[in-house]
Amino acid sequence: MGRPSATLNDLAEMARINRRDVARMFMAAGNGHFGSCYSCTEIVTALYFALMRVDAARPDWPDRDRFILGKGHAAPTLYSALIRRGFMPEDWMDEFEVKVGARLMTHPSRRYQPGVDTSQGALGHGLSIGVGMALAGKIDARDYAVYVLMGDAEIHEGSVWEAAMSAAKFRLGNLTAIIDRNGFCVDGRVDDVMPVEPLADKWQAFGWDVTRLDGHDLTALLTALAPRRDATKGRPRMIIADTVKGKGVSFMEDVRSWHSDAISAEQYARVMEELGEGAS
Amino acid sequence: MNVPSNLETASAIAVLRASYPQKAIRLQFGETMLALAAEEPDFVVLTADLMYATGIEAFGAQFPSRLFNLGIAEQNMAGVAAGLALCGKLPIVSGYAAFTTLRAVEQARADAAYNGVKVIFAAQSAGLSYGVGGPTHQTFEDVAIMRAIPNMTVLVPSDAAEVDACLRAALVADIPGPIYIRLGRGPERCWSSPGADFAIGKAMPLREGTDIAIFANGSMVVEALVAADFLRGAGIGARVLNLPSVKPFDTLAVQQAARAVSAILVVEEHSVIGGLGSAVLECLAETASPPVRRIGVADIFPPIGPAHELRAHLGLCAENIVAQAFELLELAGPGTAAAAG
Repeated sequence: MGRPSATLNDLAEMARINRRDVARMFMAAGNGHFGSCYSCTEIVTALYFALMRVDAARPDWPDRDRFILGKGHAAPTLYSALIRRGFMPEDWMDEFEVKVGARLMTHPSRRYQPGVDTSQGALGHGLSIGVGMALAGKIDARDYAVYVLMGDAEIHEGSVWEAAMSAAKFRLGNLTAIIDRNGFCVDGRVDDVMPVEPLADKWQAFGWDVTRLDGHDLTALLTALAPRRDATKGRPRMIIADTVKGKGVSFMEDVRSWHSDAISAEQYARVMEELGEGAS
Repeated sequence: MNVPSNLETASAIAVLRASYPQKAIRLQFGETMLALAAEEPDFVVLTADLMYATGIEAFGAQFPSRLFNLGIAEQNMAGVAAGLALCGKLPIVSGYAAFTTLRAVEQARADAAYNGVKVIFAAQSAGLSYGVGGPTHQTFEDVAIMRAIPNMTVLVPSDAAEVDACLRAALVADIPGPIYIRLGRGPERCWSSPGADFAIGKAMPLREGTDIAIFANGSMVVEALVAADFLRGAGIGARVLNLPSVKPFDTLAVQQAARAVSAILVVEEHSVIGGLGSAVLECLAETASPPVRRIGVADIFPPIGPAHELRAHLGLCAENIVAQAFELLELAGPGTAAAAG
């Protein structure tokens, strides 16, 4: 129950294991959203191994902190965290997308996966659901924190800005949103496909507290993402995390095609070699 | 069978129709929300700058901490509702049917239905009840859309008392999924008794008869009753089945009624594609069935017009039900009321 006490070294190791787990799942399927997963590894690791109050024995615990993966296609990063926290068995990784009835699929599903707080997949839904969850906490005077992780192109969706307005209106001090600013969407650079900057100015103008940081810097993440449990105080918080798509694997870093691509046995061997020996 | 002249028909039907008093659906919705708020402390209401337009200003004034106005942002409203439900709240989304089902359908589907959480979508101004708004505000595809979503319950109550009963039933129903309640707007004729039970998944027989069956829901129930009572005077036994629960659908009641008659009319204030008529045809196609004719909005964008006049213009009225019944029974051939009468 609660959050484990983790050192920075522990967290770095969990991040490394997470990247290996993700590769293992994508190798089972033959392809996957490597780039999208590897840009948010440290964010998800910091939340699940240092910050969030969750209990694998009670996935429906009403007072647990909530996490919503708006960029649902990075689900394997979440799956690894939930598996390593004990919510789901490790061998589910090997059936990722491979058969009818597989418990782990491209996008997270509350229906099949203990520990997943809401199903996701269609972009632009997560922040609204997070607003609802944070609002429920405020109405019921519960002290859980709500985190929503969005992609930097996910915010092209207009409903994100509807949600942004409502979070400020209801003064949801218990809500934290994170933008994984890896710079790429499917068709190219986000700022070529549809420019999103100036991000910080936009969210400030919408009434949010904004912090911009290096999304792979665990020390910075631990500080910036510290749970805000008092829904009656403050404003919603936006963390703009500058990240590298495909972070951690040399031939995937900042390469558009690794948003989602097939992987060969040889490439897989290289990924695992670069990520080092370990859990998977 | 005595086919009355058009003038006699129109006059007799007008008299029958006028015997039913009217009450506005929006007014009833507001009254019900206010009454339920005191009885059921757990639900909250969300609206998209439609507090006044959906008649819940009194609820908002008395229970301000339970009303959340999301502004003109229906997609966010539906997602917020799902988030509330995922954390144990019971949200009632008070909006217009057009925007709830056309603009926010992905949130209704992915966030509420797929997640398996109970959100009540109370969708007003459906059908042609806001006929003067034109096709952007007229809503004749909503039942088709919502019915196709797994895990979605679809209810189409008719008059004020049934709206009240339906909302109460939905509120206490132990259903792990969203409930879409299709509501009108202005005055509708009242045929049902206040306080009557509303059973989700059940058809409600209103008239017995063995010549023709009229299946209806929403604003067309009272028109079906008027038509049936007129037909009785002309020697035709018209069975009337109220079908407010389009999903789950009372397949058994529909099939039983079909077996008892020579012809079937389905009447709804909705497109003939995908609504009650389709649900009836789907269930009767798998069994022996007399001929079925659908009365609804043809595959068109209707003209503008006040609700009741626009419905009549499109044939959504007792006069047309009667005319279609005569035609159908003649088509149905020997052994039918046409021959017997």
